[in-house]
Amino acid sequence: MKPESPDTQLIALLDRVALADESALRELYDLTSSKLYGVAVRVVSNREWAEDVLQEAFLNIWRIAADYKATLSPPMAWMVLVVRSRGLDFLRRRTSGRADSMQELDDVISDTVAGDSPNPMDTTLASQQALALHDCLAQLEHKQREVVSLAYLRDLSHGELAEQLKLPLGTVKTWIRRGLEQLRGCMARFA
Amino acid sequence: MNILNNPSLVEQLAASYALGTLRGGARRRFEALARDNAGVRAAALIWQSRLGSVAELQAQAAPSPAVWTRIQNLVNAEKQATAMRAARAAAEAGAARAGGGWWSSLGLWRGASLAGVAAAVLAVVTGLNTNGQLSGQVQALTVKLSAAPDIQYVAVLNDDKSAASMLVTFDPKNKRLLLKRVGGFQAQPDKSLQLWALPAAGAPKSLGVLGRDPVIRLTAAGSDVREVPALAISLEPLGGAPAGSGPTGPVLLKGSLIETTQ
Repeated sequence: MKPESPDTQLIALLDRVALADESALRELYDLTSSKLYGVAVRVVSNREWAEDVLQEAFLNIWRIAADYKATLSPPMAWMVLVVRSRGLDFLRRRTSGRADSMQELDDVISDTVAGDSPNPMDTTLASQQALALHDCLAQLEHKQREVVSLAYLRDLSHGELAEQLKLPLGTVKTWIRRGLEQLRGCMARFA
Repeated sequence: MNILNNPSLVEQLAASYALGTLRGGARRRFEALARDNAGVRAAALIWQSRLGSVAELQAQAAPSPAVWTRIQNLVNAEKQATAMRAARAAAEAGAARAGGGWWSSLGLWRGASLAGVAAAVLAVVTGLNTNGQLSGQVQALTVKLSAAPDIQYVAVLNDDKSAASMLVTFDPKNKRLLLKRVGGFQAQPDKSLQLWALPAAGAPKSLGVLGRDPVIRLTAAGSDVREVPALAISLEPLGGAPAGSGPTGPVLLKGSLIETTQ
């Protein structure tokens, strides 16, 4: 790996954050906050909530940066997982308190899937593996890609997806099955 | 049918498992299979990491600048809580050490200052009862009160291995900075250690060059220490860095400054 690769830079910063170096946390934030905020927005579908999620995620990273090494993951993959977990926690807390918030989410999500403009993918700071996935996802029809992405990002079952996307259950199941099959064929070439 | 003989089914289940759409009994059966079979486990892990990259590909968005401020405040609060625990541990360790000096315990410092005040109050009461020389007693009390250390700031300065190395207290009333070496750390004979205030903005400000005694007393104005988030000790040429230059050598010890009064 080249010394100037983003992975090397991010790993060095995480190492310093693990030693409670606040300036490293600031550098890490400057480099990754836009990316991680984008993930948070997609998981919780609300910009204000996503800021709370981003804040919790960075506090989490500050506390558990020492655990990063043991994961063997690319650094960005590890950080986006932290954001996704905090986002899912946020949604669980929120939906257990308020029934109508699920409705707000449904509207936002069905808009994104129903729309004809594909949700743009972004490869800034992406790991090698994410670049491969990007190429494979790009071969899916954008609605298929969106359903697979949302199933993962929001940890939704077939039934929940069908309900939130206002699609027949059979359609959701078919899109996901075909999407995963196509990804399997495509990703095998990168393995 | 034994699904282990069907690699494409194993892949399909592993992908659904990692995506999260494999639910209920099917999910539990797959998990049991993965625990027993390394090949199935590996397929699940590969799919987990592949799909983990879905999150990496989401479009960027700019959070409001207030988010960083909130993170910074929370991180500072955590660091201070950690430093407080370290200070307490260092104080307790100091007090527990047989033959350790009384000054090694922060608790004893506070206790001593309270005892001083109580003795002075008792002296006043006694004085009133016996001879009524009120003004003289008030004067004595004032002297005693101002002599009792009133520690309002504490810092534990650590090296990069986070072994507590220097306990710093500041008594703004008496403009007294007290540094107690916790480890036996000393600079080489041809070098000096220098204490710096690290303001939130701007250059470090020297608080003085340290002598070689186990306990070091420095004089500092309250304004030099108040609202300074951290202190640091650097290794400097003998006698300290040139005036006005800021630290010239490496920072050896560093820590947050905590205000102890509520």
